[in-house]
This record gives sequence, C-alpha cells and structure tokens, in this order.
Amino acid sequence: MGPLNAPVRNWTSPELKAHIASADNEHRYLIGTFDAASQVQIGFFMVDVESFHRRAIFNVVVGEKSYWGKGVVNEARAALLDEFFDNRGLEKAVGMPLARNFAAVFNYKAQGWRHEGTLRAHCISAAGGPRLDQYQFGLTKDEWVAARRERSL
Amino acid sequence: MSVPEGAKVLLAEAVNCDAAAIPDDVRIGHFDLWDSLAHLRLVLAVEQHIGRQLDPDEVMRIDKLSDIAALLAG
Repeated sequence: MGPLNAPVRNWTSPELKAHIASADNEHRYLIGTFDAASQVQIGFFMVDVESFHRRAIFNVVVGEKSYWGKGVVNEARAALLDEFFDNRGLEKAVGMPLARNFAAVFNYKAQGWRHEGTLRAHCISAAGGPRLDQYQFGLTKDEWVAARRERSL
Repeated sequence: MSVPEGAKVLLAEAVNCDAAAIPDDVRIGHFDLWDSLAHLRLVLAVEQHIGRQLDPDEVMRIDKLSDIAALLAG
C-alpha cells in the first residue's frame, strides 16, 4: 500500500473486528466514505482526537481508484471539519501526508491547510528503501471558517 | 520553449487541456482542472524534465506557474 506506507495485513475476522472496535467515537473515529448515489463505500477516514488539546489528526483513504482526482477527499473532509469544529469541540485539525504523496499534498493545499513543517526521514518505508519524509499540515477552526467564507468550500 | 511557456505547457499536459486555456495567474485550489491527479502528473513531469527527484521543500513550493518555471529553470 504505497501511498499509505502501510504493510499489507492479513487480518483474521476477529482481528479486523478488534481494529474497528478501537474506534470508540470519542478518542478515535472510523468514518466510511460512500458514493451518495450508489451507497457504495469508496473509502474511510480515521480521526484520532487528543481531547485535552482539542486537536485531531485526520487520516483518509479512498480505496476505489475510479474516484481519485474527483474531489472526493476534500468534499468529505469539509463535512467532517464542519462537524468536528462546530459540534465536537475541535479547535485544530492536523494532517500528516508523506512528502511524496503528491495527490494528498495537493488536497491539503487546495483546501486551505497550512504547511507547518517537514519531518525529515520520519518514517520507515514499508516497501523497503530509504526512510521517508513527511509533512505536517494544520488547520485551525478560525482558518477553516474564514476559508469557507472566502472560497465557498 | 521559454521557461514560463514551458511551465504552462507542462501544467496543460498534466491537466489535459490546451495551454491557451491555462490562466496566467492559475493557482492550486483556484482552477478546477488542476486536481489531485493532475498535480501528481505535474510533479512527476517536472522531475522528469529536470532529471531528478524534487526535495520536499521544492514540492511544497509548487502553487502557481512561476513556481513551476523556477523549478524548470533550476
């Protein structure tokens, strides 16, 4: 799973259920992304909340390749940002794509997230080879409100 | 091709449109054809053009035509 830098896991059904159950909808949310017309699931978000800091790390996967490049990530993430900022007390969102995940980098920039830093050689490559660089993007609640107002996101 | 025009041609190929349709002030997030897959194609095309991988700071700087032109100019 190249862009994700995650090893392939041959989980058993109980292992998969345990992973899904780790999403307690308080500290971790696992949220499916569905095609509105067909109701086919095309991906998911994993949102890890650090309650004390009112901050969360957003991770996203669109596994159905026919939906890539169609704005699905930013459309769905906009709805989640609204929900977490408006109704769940979040004050800052964080995203951490690999530096060579150019599509993800585009999505963060196009949605108005700010590049806050580059973490050099931050990750082991699941595929082998040299360590991987990673970016940190951030978006505060105020920035999101302003971006939506200015750009009708 | 001149550097600024080369940048526009490279972006046009990435977004699959005529170079004449690319506004001079095009920016990420403000031009519908410049989507995430087009951006992937663009960065790879820049790397192919200059014959090396971009470093993370260079990748992060790509927001508009002048940024692409600067990378092509080396």
